[in-house]
Amino acid sequence: MTPRLMADGLTKRFSGTTVVDNVSFYVDPGQIVGLTGPNGAGKTTLFNLLSGVLKPDAGTLTVNGVDATNLPPYRLARLGLVRTFQLARELDRLSVLENVQLAARNNVGESLTGALFRPAATRQAEQAITQRAREVLSLVSLSAHESKPAAALSGGQKKLLELARCLMAEADIILLDEIAAGVAPHLVEEIAVLIRRLNREHGKTFVIIEHNIGFIRNLASRVVVMASGKVLAEGSFDHVAADPAVVASYLGQAA
Amino acid sequence: MIQMIINTLASAAIVAPAAVAFTLVFTLFRYANFAVGGFVTVGAFAAWTINVPLGCPLWVAGLGAMVVCASAFALSDRLVFRALRGRSGGTLLLVSIALSFVLENIMRFIYGAQMKGFDLPLTGPITIWDVRITRETVAVVSVSLLAILVVGAILILTPIGRALRAVADNPSLASVRGLPVPSVEVFGIAVAGAMLGLSGTLVGVDLSIDPNLNWAVTIPIIAAAIVGGLGSPIGAAAGAILIGAAEELTVAFLAPTYKGAVGFAVIALVLILRPQGLLGDKVDRK
Repeated sequence: MTPRLMADGLTKRFSGTTVVDNVSFYVDPGQIVGLTGPNGAGKTTLFNLLSGVLKPDAGTLTVNGVDATNLPPYRLARLGLVRTFQLARELDRLSVLENVQLAARNNVGESLTGALFRPAATRQAEQAITQRAREVLSLVSLSAHESKPAAALSGGQKKLLELARCLMAEADIILLDEIAAGVAPHLVEEIAVLIRRLNREHGKTFVIIEHNIGFIRNLASRVVVMASGKVLAEGSFDHVAADPAVVASYLGQAA
Repeated sequence: MIQMIINTLASAAIVAPAAVAFTLVFTLFRYANFAVGGFVTVGAFAAWTINVPLGCPLWVAGLGAMVVCASAFALSDRLVFRALRGRSGGTLLLVSIALSFVLENIMRFIYGAQMKGFDLPLTGPITIWDVRITRETVAVVSVSLLAILVVGAILILTPIGRALRAVADNPSLASVRGLPVPSVEVFGIAVAGAMLGLSGTLVGVDLSIDPNLNWAVTIPIIAAAIVGGLGSPIGAAAGAILIGAAEELTVAFLAPTYKGAVGFAVIALVLILRPQGLLGDKVDRK
């Protein structure tokens, strides 16, 4: 089985400091991999490498069996990999529904030739997209807010909107960067339920960065712990939690 | 009184499409394009060329002027403004003023400085109660209103309009989300150019066509867009009505000489009382 995502020796330096140091790991289809570690461990930088936001100084990245090492984000999206950001960013003045509609891939009506010369195709595509956007919104329970401007959503709702956008983009690998951070507790629970459901019923693969250990324990089938840019430990939650190096890195940070 | 309202609507109808164009360019690229008057002048001459020497009816001339201006505006973006993307608003403003002079003088070089007019049949005004309305005024106001409604509908109802609003909201985010930003921008520029061409045609129905039109229309256009709140096409139309009314009042109660200064006075007043414009949103600088 081809792994959905494979990183081999990924390295990133910023002015002499090695922030991600020779990181290798893989994600199989249908897995939920938790990525955790103390602040400054390089988790978000690793995400930036995995999603094409940054180019690695060394190492390779393979997405769904295709070499994706130096591809920009929109090309990775076409391979089926999308991500959310720590701070959810939305098109504030557009409605919630429009934000989701815009995530649809290859919308003929958004191209010049489509808009000007293919009105019938444009109308059909638009109907299909609107219907699917509504389905996705009901999946993340944002249907009631579809006509509000995105700026009017709460922090937690914006994270749900981010998820909706990933689903609309037909991603099969979704990277979630601290999706539960700064979200009201009842919404954290809702997000966790949603991720599990998308994983089981829709076969989506997830990599989640999370400080909330409960969230990781609850969801992840495998946990990767990073510290100082390196992979410190990898395995099931219980296995990793018992690893003395992991305990030391967390205690060391707490002390 | 009613006569003044009619006159106001007539002059607003001429300015409004161009003000919509100005506001579109501003929301997409965040700079004030002072060359709008230059393109209106180009549109007026294009319409005249199709109407008088070529002998086509005026509605054909109007459509032709829209196509000419849409292409010229897109070309100016390609040749002049694309190289300067991301420069400060001040730089782009100066460049656009220079472009305006270039366009004005190209028109002067080709057509000379003589005043020209469309080949319109002379029709008497319709008089309803003591108000004189010419058929041209009726046509100008309805065409202008229709054009603005069409632009509004494109922005709100179509996928490319939605993409345009996404790019206007946050270009870098729109790009990360995989929208074809450059072609969406070209579409927006072409729509704005067509509106400038329409204004050029309408201005030629009301006034005589000569290269000096440029600065006569530039100030009311920009004043209307600013007063209406940059970024809001309906605001731009409302702003055009307000500027038209202010000019009309000046002519009636002060002297026609001051007509040109009124635009500035209204801009100053609006910026003091309601800095976001009549219908504009408050914009945070990010």
